[in-house]
Amino acid sequence: MAEKFVSERNLKFLLYEVFDVEGLTRYSYYQDHGREIFDMILDTALRMGKDLLHGTFQEMDRNPPQYVEGRVKVHPLVRTLMRECGEGGWIGANAPYELGGQQLPIMISAASRFIFFAANYSASVYPLLTSGAAHLIESFGTEEMKALYIPKMFSGQWQGTMALTEPQAGSSLSDITTKAVPTQEGYYKIRGQKIFISAGDHDGADNIIHLMLAKIEGAPHGVKGISLFVVPRLRPEPDGTLVPNDVQVAGIYHKLGYRGAPITQLSLGENDDCRGYLVGEPHKGLSYMFQMMNEARIDVGMGAAAIASAAYYAALEYARERPQGRRLRSKDPSLPQVPIIEHPDVKRMLLFQRAVVDGSLALLLQCAKYADLEKVQEGEEKERHGLLLDLLTPVAKTYPSEMGLLSVSQGLQCLGGYGYCDEFPLEQHYRDARIHPIHEGTTGIQGLDLLGRKVVIKGGKAFKLYLEEVRGAVARAEATRGLDAGAGLLEGALQRLEEVTAHLLELAPGDPELFLADATLYLELFGVVTVAWQWLLQALRASEALEADPSGGDRDFYEGKLRTYQYFFSYELPKIEGLCRRLLQSDGLTVNLEDRHFTD
Amino acid sequence: MNIIVLLKQVPDTETQIKIAPDGKSIVTDDIKWIMNPYDEFGVEEALRIKEKFGGEVTVVGLGPKRVTESIRTALAMGADKGILITDDALEGSDSLAVAKAITAAVKDLDYDLIFTGQRGIDDDMGVVGASVAELLGIPNISLGIKVEISEDQKTVTVNRPVEGQTLVIESSLPALITAQKGLNEPRYASLPGIMKAKRKPLEEKSLADLGLDASEFGTEARKVKILELTPPPERAAGKIIEGETPQEKAAELARLLHEEAKVL
Repeated sequence: MAEKFVSERNLKFLLYEVFDVEGLTRYSYYQDHGREIFDMILDTALRMGKDLLHGTFQEMDRNPPQYVEGRVKVHPLVRTLMRECGEGGWIGANAPYELGGQQLPIMISAASRFIFFAANYSASVYPLLTSGAAHLIESFGTEEMKALYIPKMFSGQWQGTMALTEPQAGSSLSDITTKAVPTQEGYYKIRGQKIFISAGDHDGADNIIHLMLAKIEGAPHGVKGISLFVVPRLRPEPDGTLVPNDVQVAGIYHKLGYRGAPITQLSLGENDDCRGYLVGEPHKGLSYMFQMMNEARIDVGMGAAAIASAAYYAALEYARERPQGRRLRSKDPSLPQVPIIEHPDVKRMLLFQRAVVDGSLALLLQCAKYADLEKVQEGEEKERHGLLLDLLTPVAKTYPSEMGLLSVSQGLQCLGGYGYCDEFPLEQHYRDARIHPIHEGTTGIQGLDLLGRKVVIKGGKAFKLYLEEVRGAVARAEATRGLDAGAGLLEGALQRLEEVTAHLLELAPGDPELFLADATLYLELFGVVTVAWQWLLQALRASEALEADPSGGDRDFYEGKLRTYQYFFSYELPKIEGLCRRLLQSDGLTVNLEDRHFTD
Repeated sequence: MNIIVLLKQVPDTETQIKIAPDGKSIVTDDIKWIMNPYDEFGVEEALRIKEKFGGEVTVVGLGPKRVTESIRTALAMGADKGILITDDALEGSDSLAVAKAITAAVKDLDYDLIFTGQRGIDDDMGVVGASVAELLGIPNISLGIKVEISEDQKTVTVNRPVEGQTLVIESSLPALITAQKGLNEPRYASLPGIMKAKRKPLEEKSLADLGLDASEFGTEARKVKILELTPPPERAAGKIIEGETPQEKAAELARLLHEEAKVL
């Protein structure tokens, strides 16, 4: 199996050279941190990825979780990893010191997650989900709840989940039917069904803590009637003992990929003894859950980019070693075969992968930076970075997910028939990657979120701020030798995006269905323009670094960056033209099409 | 129980090593440096003993400033203090000179045990540990795969592999033990450990600080001189045995093993 799954050089380039993570240490929340600490953390994450996670990447796929007598048995690595991530402080890394966290910048934990995901995506989700669930309790739970659950979750003894989906309510959460009946004792009795709950049960943790959406009896219809509950598998009694909480595992699903982590079906309150503890106020559950959901969406993008990274390095290794054919310019058939990396079409496939992987990672770290700034700043600056993060979350979830899948596919293609066989990791990466356009809100939902909600929030303020950010990079590129052409192309793309946005927003008041019919295409357009911006930022830094005439590996690295930037602007950015043409048509083709037209 | 761990920084095993134009050294640009893995076993063992008996673990490294990173890693794992012996005059020193500098740095410290790796994975000399023990006049126990301190903390018992068997050695303390693979599984540095490492004391010492004469160190003072470095020979292409039947192929294989490979 390929040894390399991420580029440490590229991670450090993005963190230190492009996004200046060290600048965050100016804020008091992050003042104890610095480059030396960040380097050690990344180094430890790389070691854990390599030694602990990567070795079981295939094994966990071949030996998926088993449903045995009402419980889920998982690979023994899960318990080890939960313990290492707990004792190592990874699960609570971002939390404040007083809760046992390390006040680690989100950018650094995001980079660490990228490493873990690339090493073994399935294994990495267990601690990750626990982090998100604990953060939700941290933000909205009572002091008692925090004291009861957070230490056990941060230490990796207890697993956290997010339990939203039901058989009849996936994308449409307003239709959930899980009920919560208030009792005199203060807790609620929960009854209902949940499906597709990741890590919803397993023997790698001593308890499972579900952060669950349910409707309090008599609640209003729609999303305004949803409340958030803590529903433990074993509920802690006042004397510290754990008693079963009537959470039954009805089964697990058999999946295409991402097989090392179970997704479970849960049945709650079959014996009328499932207690849920309300988090925050009644009926505000969905807005609370969106904190975890938004974080999870960025993590999904990160997982997708990470899998594409592992696939890219596996394809690159193969392309350098596999001799096949001769250069087309060579006329002599007696010459030895050349490694396939010498063929322009193979180079194109590799460039595509690198453009997607590094471009996606840059966008995700950009979002992590906005999240950090929103966390530590005040007033207008806080609002600015919060709005930018809101706007870019559906893009940072979707571009890596959709394009990552194509990227892995091209990686697989580099190996030809071998790529399709399980001696090489590409087929698994391809299967593992397929979940990402689906979970935590499908691509369709992300499109609706971007166009229907984010672009118009606060009278379009987020979109305006976004244009300002991108134009800031355009202005710098105009003044940089060799990048002025790229600056012009990106400015042109921005104008097209503005034109399309204005056109679609005009449709909104008249017919919301027509307005949003091609929201997914709009998201695709937005993604390409946004990643072009991220490539321009990388090119700006690479050009500056090359001015200093670096040697050896540094020169190769920065030149490689510039070539990939050129690739993106020459091969990928022009693709928006077709999207713009379609989006400006708005003829309602799909709106008016009827069921009967599909039959034969 | 106070323990000293000697550590070296070496190129990561995944680094592509290139020989420098002088033919006697390697190109150090683009190298990723790590703590010598055998020394890491020593750090882990020292921490386990400290956790059981209490005391302090001091990590001693030698080399350029970048060695600080490896010392900090050991501090993040749980060691208490670090000493970096650093001096331009040390560049190019041989193993014996390194041992002398280390001895000068540790001889006056209060210690019961010294750990170091059985060898550095870069030069593979395996000389420093034994030399330091000799210069300090304490027992040297090499290739430890199991270390047990007696309850009264006066003696140590070390298992050492020999020809498929195990040699069990008991020694008085203080003693120096060189660590072999199998001794333990080193822990990962924890995030709280990494945060704390920054505030732990790390002292730098020059040759003058240690009362040593710089002329006894460096390339010029080497007793062992490197004449030339050569890369390992490239692996030759494999050969497919031709033949119509298994018998024919077997006969051809036997002939080649006899005549070409000369192993039969």
